[in-house]
Amino acid sequence: MKKFEIRYGAVGGQGIITAGALLVDIAVELENKFAIESPTYTAAVRGGPTKVDVIVSDEAIDFPHATAIDFFLCTDQRPYDIYKERLKDNAVVVVDSHLVRELGDTRNWKVYPVPIINETKVGAGNVVLTSVVSLAVTQKLTQVISYDHMVEHIKHWAPKGTVEMNLKAIEVGMNLIK
Amino acid sequence: MSARKVLQGNVIIAKAALAAGCDFFAGYPITPSSEIAQYMSKEMPKLERTFIQMEDEIASLGACIGASLAGRKTMTATSGPGFSLMQEHIGMAVMAEVPVVIVNVMRGGPSTGMPTKPAQSDMMQARWGTHGDHPIIALYPAFAEEMFSETVRAFNLAEKYWNPVILLSDEVLGKAHMDVEIPEPGSYEVYWEQPRQIIDLNIYDRNIGENPPRVDFFHGYPIHIDGLEHDAHGWPSFDARTVDKMQKLRMQKIYQNLDDIIRYKEYFLDDAEVLVFSFGISARSALAAVKAAREQGVKAGLFQALTVWPFPRAALQERFKKTRKVLTVEMNMGQMKYEVERIAPPGVEKQNLLRANGMPFSPDEVLNAIKEMVR
Repeated sequence: MKKFEIRYGAVGGQGIITAGALLVDIAVELENKFAIESPTYTAAVRGGPTKVDVIVSDEAIDFPHATAIDFFLCTDQRPYDIYKERLKDNAVVVVDSHLVRELGDTRNWKVYPVPIINETKVGAGNVVLTSVVSLAVTQKLTQVISYDHMVEHIKHWAPKGTVEMNLKAIEVGMNLIK
Repeated sequence: MSARKVLQGNVIIAKAALAAGCDFFAGYPITPSSEIAQYMSKEMPKLERTFIQMEDEIASLGACIGASLAGRKTMTATSGPGFSLMQEHIGMAVMAEVPVVIVNVMRGGPSTGMPTKPAQSDMMQARWGTHGDHPIIALYPAFAEEMFSETVRAFNLAEKYWNPVILLSDEVLGKAHMDVEIPEPGSYEVYWEQPRQIIDLNIYDRNIGENPPRVDFFHGYPIHIDGLEHDAHGWPSFDARTVDKMQKLRMQKIYQNLDDIIRYKEYFLDDAEVLVFSFGISARSALAAVKAAREQGVKAGLFQALTVWPFPRAALQERFKKTRKVLTVEMNMGQMKYEVERIAPPGVEKQNLLRANGMPFSPDEVLNAIKEMVR
């Protein structure tokens, strides 16, 4: 893997910036790769379309925004419409099947419509775990970080008393993709 | 485990400020700089240093100037709207010769503009925002390690030359979480001159070109610090000969020490047909672009200014002896391009890539502009 580009799209408050931050932490601090995460958001604290670009590379990264995206995960229609540009041919695309209904032309991509938000609520027990569920989905589909490093980091990162629920969120994410 | 960590750009600046010995921060949080104040508010009390959230940006810089005179190393951080409010006090700090570091994480303007979008539109404001002829130093890092080193350098230059130093950044660099290796203490210079007990009242008395000494203002004789033009005692004076001398003292402490102040980076320039001039986030796009150009056999190179004011004129002029095409890339409607145009000799082809809509230039946009110039 020379360079791998990931984009998360969401609306403000869904927790997607956290998913990007976790991914970068794991890639750099546990896997000794180069990585950068840059968020783009609006002045609205909640509800504005948001994206976060994550680049993981074997070499130092010059430009911090994604320009040829390998993996796109999106949990809302508006950011999907705005931020689905610059996807590579054969890009892997994961969308929330309840919240992103109009996919447009997806011929060049491999698309996984899955109920991310709903399964997070039901399976993991709290919608705030969307970030960790999304991280696990990313790990499973891309292998950009290792499963073991993901679990190790989440155990270390999770606030006191929340380790179990965060590990449950990883399980939900892994099971979302068959 | 890696020695490299992931830190937000704003936090790198805050950490570097602590490493440089910043022991007084007064600020008013504003997007996209807020994490600097946030980090300082958490860490300064632990180190028994002072953090104050002020009522606005005017008061923030005022507090920093006062604390600096009392012997503290001071910093404030803001973005465009706050930087506008600080201009009056920047003039005061220049006139009274007070060291202070002012961080401006640039966002879309004018006015409240686009709080969450990047821009490089305050380049000229950093130079000429306060009124009157005045010397200024402005630094603008682009990469993670530079965000640390240039912040430390901003403090060093402020202390050494008794002048405000503006540290520029932008929304992309401020908000991005990037991998960075924070250097060990002791591996970089931290300049500090122990304040000197005043032995007479001529606190501003020195020869032209000499660095001013740091004076212990509050232990010794009563002294006068004024925004009015003043004599060696600090008392108001409009005597033309005195004014001439004081202006020269303030100007020459900067302009006779350009070798110490100006820093830049050059990439692939030795045989370059096109020189890309850029800084901050745009320099990161430009570096990716010149690398891509080289892969395609196009001889492009990058001149990345780290010191943007004073402008790195001599180094750039040297490059124009061989490279006869220059492309200026900046996220504004055209500001530093005028500096490039002023110094580029006749016969040098000058092109610009300018935009201030909140979208950073992608490397392929810069690459296309380079290729247009060699067609």
